[in-house]
Amino acid sequence: MMRRALAALALFSAAAAACAQAWPTKPIRLIAPYAAGGPIDISARLIAPKLQEALGQPVIVENRPGAGGNIGADLVAKSAPDGYTLVIGAIATHAINPWLFSGLPYDPIKDFRHVALIVQVPNVLVVNNELPARSVGELIALAKAQPGKLDFASGSTGSTGHLAGEMFKLMTGTYMVHIPYKGAAPAVADLMAGRVHLIFDNLASALPNVKAGKVRAIAVTTRQRSAFLPELPTLDESGLRGFDMTTWWGVMAPGKTPQAVVERLHAEVFRALESPDVRQRLRAMGSEVPAVRTPEAFTAFVASELKTYGDLVKRSGAKPD
Amino acid sequence: MEIFSNLLLGFQVALTPFNLLMCLVGVLLGTLIGVLPGVGPVATIAMLLPITFNLNPIGALIMLAGIYYGAQYGGSTTAILVNLPGESSSVVTCLDGYQMARQGRAGPALATAALGSFFAGCVATLVVAMFAPPLAEVALKFGPAEYFSLMVLGLVAAVVLAHGSLLKAIAMVILGLLLGLVGTDVNSGVLRFAFNISELADGIGFVTVAMGMFGLAEIITNLEHTETREVFTSKVKHLWPTKEDWKRLWGPVLRGTFLGSALGILPGGGALLASFGAYTLEKKVSKYSHEFGKGAIEGVAAPESANNAGAQTSFIPLLTLGIPSNAVMALMIGAMMIQGIAPGPQVMTERKELFWGMIASMWVGNLMLVVLNLPLIGMWIKLLTVPYRILYPSILVFMAIGVYSLSNNPFDVFLMSIFGLLGYVCVKLECEPAPMILGFILGPLMEENLRRAMLLSRGDPMTFIQKPISAGFIIASVILLVIIALPALRKKREEVFVEE
Repeated sequence: MMRRALAALALFSAAAAACAQAWPTKPIRLIAPYAAGGPIDISARLIAPKLQEALGQPVIVENRPGAGGNIGADLVAKSAPDGYTLVIGAIATHAINPWLFSGLPYDPIKDFRHVALIVQVPNVLVVNNELPARSVGELIALAKAQPGKLDFASGSTGSTGHLAGEMFKLMTGTYMVHIPYKGAAPAVADLMAGRVHLIFDNLASALPNVKAGKVRAIAVTTRQRSAFLPELPTLDESGLRGFDMTTWWGVMAPGKTPQAVVERLHAEVFRALESPDVRQRLRAMGSEVPAVRTPEAFTAFVASELKTYGDLVKRSGAKPD
Repeated sequence: MEIFSNLLLGFQVALTPFNLLMCLVGVLLGTLIGVLPGVGPVATIAMLLPITFNLNPIGALIMLAGIYYGAQYGGSTTAILVNLPGESSSVVTCLDGYQMARQGRAGPALATAALGSFFAGCVATLVVAMFAPPLAEVALKFGPAEYFSLMVLGLVAAVVLAHGSLLKAIAMVILGLLLGLVGTDVNSGVLRFAFNISELADGIGFVTVAMGMFGLAEIITNLEHTETREVFTSKVKHLWPTKEDWKRLWGPVLRGTFLGSALGILPGGGALLASFGAYTLEKKVSKYSHEFGKGAIEGVAAPESANNAGAQTSFIPLLTLGIPSNAVMALMIGAMMIQGIAPGPQVMTERKELFWGMIASMWVGNLMLVVLNLPLIGMWIKLLTVPYRILYPSILVFMAIGVYSLSNNPFDVFLMSIFGLLGYVCVKLECEPAPMILGFILGPLMEENLRRAMLLSRGDPMTFIQKPISAGFIIASVILLVIIALPALRKKREEVFVEE
């Protein structure tokens, strides 16, 4: 009896091993939970051909936009954990939305294996050219002198730009009015026209207008200065100690995906990220190869982000009720 | 003059064999997806993005731009032939274009659409070339208050779109506004009327509604009338507009081009208003206004010119400010960023060959489109002779594929079916879908801008009157409203507009 059980066990683990060895034997779907053409979709389409080449199976990018990315993320959370359905999970789907949407159908930690972080982009604090503040200190002084007079724009309620503004308000004890838009583009247009005073915009979209002198950048939101605008101080060094916000996204798999598959995927994703052409194109989007280098570190990173934004959403009252 | 040297540079870029080929591929693909109902330029460009990685930036952008304006041409074909608007801009083309087709005048309608679009495309390209930088400043003058007032004017004008009872038109506008409320509230992030269905969190898609209300409803209605089915295939008289048509054509084309070029510059849904606005304007100024809705050639010429002009000038905010005016333009930004070109004001000065090459290619592309499309008209007409038992199922299949491809979700297909039933009910009640669609498109934009303007003014509604541009639109809306509401005039209006 025992021997038979052992033999069965041996057979089973051999089969499991063979299974992992054999992966992938069919096409892989990479779900981008946002609309085509956005930075998340583009980065997915950048790495997909590299993965396809390395894994020997087609890797198909599929857009499943909707509900702030929740539809796509939920689809993968509930897919078979066999490594054939992956998702680009982002700061919105995995750190912010769980606090904004009551009854989110997935758990951002337990329902996913966090395979590899692929992009980290800083946000930049950009002000209208007419605004007298030329530094963070001057902006704080201005906001304190005229409480409730300054407007900060964002691409949507609950976006990183919105939450960065809320964090700024909490840390400086100032009051500014949040003006949400549908996407960053119209918000930037109103910033240029001077209808709103400032915005926390992501580096890639802010950079051209900053360089053309149409608007003025006064700080980055990350702990370290950005290689793209090295002269720009961080909020942290400008007196807002500990201010550290990055927009990020990465490849994730369903929660029970086998370790061997996760490791193989992780290695291939990083190989893709380090290939010169992908690297160059991600740089154009304002992102360096991330420093989070193992799946476990990625999970820890997601968990810490989840906590940070949970605190922030609660303290700032950003959650709709 | 600098503009000529710039245009010369542009044509040198656009006329290289490779870029010509890219342009041709773009407009061909664009026409094709425009003709297929529901499959829009957004999905196509997204699918083609990875291919463009390996092309040079100019070739890639020329091709993507070609898909965009090619789709505008193709979109009017299905609107005219089978009452299916593929793009929001071709909704109004359905009104008179389809009626023309039913009277056996599909040929002139298609020719009008193609020639009007070509003329508008040429003029708008010139506008882009000459005035892009100063016009970009005009776009920046439009803030939330100005957009709100513009939308109010558009909505008041929507009532004019209907040619039935005024009361029903207003009811349909309101129904559209209500449907537009579904989804996440921009200000607070609260879900409205979504019934915990996460697919409804971003609202109901325009294509889904338009396919259902126009296409599906049309098919259901036609299945009822077994006896009239063959009518409009048998009496195709001629393919080309008659002398009389030409005389009636040019005014609307000119006005449509002007209006479209102007509205296309505005990034916040301005281009959307172009075709609606042009149609409304024609209906007001034309001496044939009693024919509108029954196959007036002006009703095809004006909106088609307007939407193509708007499609071209909507490149202005993209190329000069880096601000996309619609989803396709947002994709173009993605494509540019992939190529390492940061879209923004410096593109014009630092990448001269790219900026002017694209502008020149638009003219070349428009020429290709008209050359391609005019001979195709005969072929499209033949499509009408395809028996309905084959035509309708294939249209249904393409519609389902198109709607599914919006977000790869079967939910949208179900939703389309529901709107098809609603559309059929509306046909039975003699309520027209066009005012509803306009309300549906404008409602969310109007609400968003109203609330944003109120946030910015800290709750003071005077902001709409204090700003001169906004005040102008409000005054125009009030005047229009008075004209519609005056009892004496209303009586006359009903004599004019109720069709018997």
